[in-house]
Amino acid sequence: MDAFQAGFFEEARELLAELELALLELDEKRDDPELVGRAFRALHTIKGSGAMFGLDELAGFTHHLETAFDRVRNGQLAVTSGLTNLALAASDQIKALLEQAAGRGVADQARGAEILARVGELTRAEQPTPPQPDSVPPPPERAGRGEIRLWRIRFRPAAEVLVNGVNPLLLLDELRQLGDLQVTADLSAIPPLRAIVPEHCYLAWDMTLATPAGRDAIRDVFIFVEDNSELAIETAVAPKPEAGRAPVAPPASENTPVRGAQPAASIRVAAAKLDQLVNLVGELVTVQARLSEAAARSNDPGILDIAELVERLTGELRENSMSIRMLPLRATFERFRRLVHDLGVDLGKDVELTVEGADTELDKTVIDQLNDPLVHLIRNSMDHGIETPEVRRAAGKRPTARIHLSALHSGANVLIRVSDDGRGLDAEAVRARAVEQGLIDSGARLSEQEIFSLILAPGFSTAREVTDVSGRGVGMDVVRRSVEALHGSIELNSRPSQGLTVTLRLPLTLAIIDGLLVRVGATSFVVPLANSLECVELTREDIQAAHGNHLANVRGELIPYIRLSEYFEMDTARPDREQIMVVETEHGLYGFAVDQVLGDHQTVIKNLGRLCRNVQVVSGATILGDGTVALILDPHRLVHNVIQTASERSGSLPGADGRRNREQHFHSKGQQDQCYAKQMEKLRP
Amino acid sequence: MAKTILTVDDSASVRQMVKFTLSEAGYRVIEAVDGKDAVVKLASPVQLVITDLNMPALDGIGLIRWVRANPACKGVPILMLTTESQEARKQEGRAAGATGWIVKPFTPQQLLAVVRKVLG
Repeated sequence: MDAFQAGFFEEARELLAELELALLELDEKRDDPELVGRAFRALHTIKGSGAMFGLDELAGFTHHLETAFDRVRNGQLAVTSGLTNLALAASDQIKALLEQAAGRGVADQARGAEILARVGELTRAEQPTPPQPDSVPPPPERAGRGEIRLWRIRFRPAAEVLVNGVNPLLLLDELRQLGDLQVTADLSAIPPLRAIVPEHCYLAWDMTLATPAGRDAIRDVFIFVEDNSELAIETAVAPKPEAGRAPVAPPASENTPVRGAQPAASIRVAAAKLDQLVNLVGELVTVQARLSEAAARSNDPGILDIAELVERLTGELRENSMSIRMLPLRATFERFRRLVHDLGVDLGKDVELTVEGADTELDKTVIDQLNDPLVHLIRNSMDHGIETPEVRRAAGKRPTARIHLSALHSGANVLIRVSDDGRGLDAEAVRARAVEQGLIDSGARLSEQEIFSLILAPGFSTAREVTDVSGRGVGMDVVRRSVEALHGSIELNSRPSQGLTVTLRLPLTLAIIDGLLVRVGATSFVVPLANSLECVELTREDIQAAHGNHLANVRGELIPYIRLSEYFEMDTARPDREQIMVVETEHGLYGFAVDQVLGDHQTVIKNLGRLCRNVQVVSGATILGDGTVALILDPHRLVHNVIQTASERSGSLPGADGRRNREQHFHSKGQQDQCYAKQMEKLRP
Repeated sequence: MAKTILTVDDSASVRQMVKFTLSEAGYRVIEAVDGKDAVVKLASPVQLVITDLNMPALDGIGLIRWVRANPACKGVPILMLTTESQEARKQEGRAAGATGWIVKPFTPQQLLAVVRKVLG
């Protein structure tokens, strides 16, 4: 039984989430019978399964709440905010009981009793008692103690028992297990052939049974049919003579065998197993790359054939195993309904949460780490962004504020937006505050976008007072760090008094990417394919035509490029023909000049480890087919760093002190990147 | 050939328990998450249906009615799982054509006893 309990715990947690959601929606749409039904079903299942898995306290508690919702369902009780709030409290208590049963923490008994008392008041039940389950037919007892008695039984099932799935012969067999049974079939009711309905049962049986079992045990055999059958059980004095007995036919033959196994719709698997699968697939992808390369070298068509097949299969396997880890964001999004509801009550603000794109799927690891940043963003919006209803009314806004959560795919990224229609960010106030806190120089020239991103800096807070909810100045930089840890980025958009929109741009997955393998000197790099647009050639003539500027003419459009060998200060001779990979970054189109573009490469991302955690432009490393290591570039960061360094040189960013600090900062970062690239060169076989 | 039993319940843990118990006893068990799913699964013949009553999409009563109206499932025994303390729901199920019922909570032994009763 314990093995099933773990499954039940998990399921119960989901049911509770479902219950909570239904309750919160019910709070808004009080007359929706569908929502009441959902809440009732969730409670009902928790109770039923709970009792089955031996969690009597949980089942007992839930029963009272279920009773209340049964009354709501039957129209005997109206949905009020009192009821939904009470039910939410009760759902928390159920959760506590559940955790207690799972061996985590102890549920507060007094609280439970208080909730039950209030539920009792609502349902006007005196003292609710736990449900008395109807008697379950006990397994037939064979030859118990006691005197063997003789019973005379007459059984005439209703004509339609066969249609309802009853096999009367099985009942006779069951009786036989109770003791010695003599059966006489009564064929008198069988009509003439043309009047026979083949599905009807026309037989009746007269039986004598010698058994120590009592009348109840015999009745129990007929428990499913006694309502619509003719059944007489009486004690007999002597066994009936056996004359006129018709032989009892053997049980009807079984139905035809079932063809083909039918798989279950879904199964639960421990997340660790999935991680292991993805790891193994990762290793396989690496080995496959080696195979492909070896095959290409061997020039043996037979081997090439196999290598191609393996490559295709590995690709499919990779996509499949990655998709297993993809989960819709719905569960994460829906959890916030409760947060918004509770915070709204605490802060005296009226807020509704709308959700869009909840079916968008993301890697489970990304989703898991997304919860905290989203909580921070929502809390921030609720606390700082959204005004009290009075203020909103005075400003001519709808008193009910809105927080909108949305998710959508954009290439290999998912954009998650949290927007509110609150007071928005005041660029001037943010700026003033940043100057006050020494984050920027008072003379700094910053775009609005740059000013907004200052609130992501550590220690920044515009809240005048520290509230219970937020305002300790630890919110936004936590968000930034979490999102950056996921290789994502943040963008803020705001209009004063119209609200704030925070956009998180996150990669679909963290484990494997499609990349383009490039060579600079003897070092290989991988650029994520999702960012790469095209490759063009860069000849000496082109370079001369640009008068030394790092600009390439791509079909008439001038695209700035970064020569990787220069960026990483690599000691390599520049070839006659270079190639430029045009990549799309948040700063627009940029080119990376490399010696050669080798081709696409399924890249299993390996972390660089703690030693290199400050290296920004390299998001990881991968092992190539021949065993060498290639660095995976982060085009966004690379371009960002180059722009930052360039703009500092041209002096458009903060003056004197601020600049020196930043320069030092970036310089050290650049140095680290360069050192790293050099080290990698040494690693070559 | 092992007899095939279809267990219909929106609670995965109940399905799991039913499946485990009956598989141990040598039956072949297929699962459905609600009545609608069950209707799909009934495309291949089964020898017994065990269904919960309260389910989304198509509930137990609806499923029983569907099975009884479907000639391909003629005479298949149906057991309903019920926690309802009210008789009403059970009677409704019986009227719809259920063969028998099992009251939750039940033990694996009780489940087996009832299944043997209707399946032999």
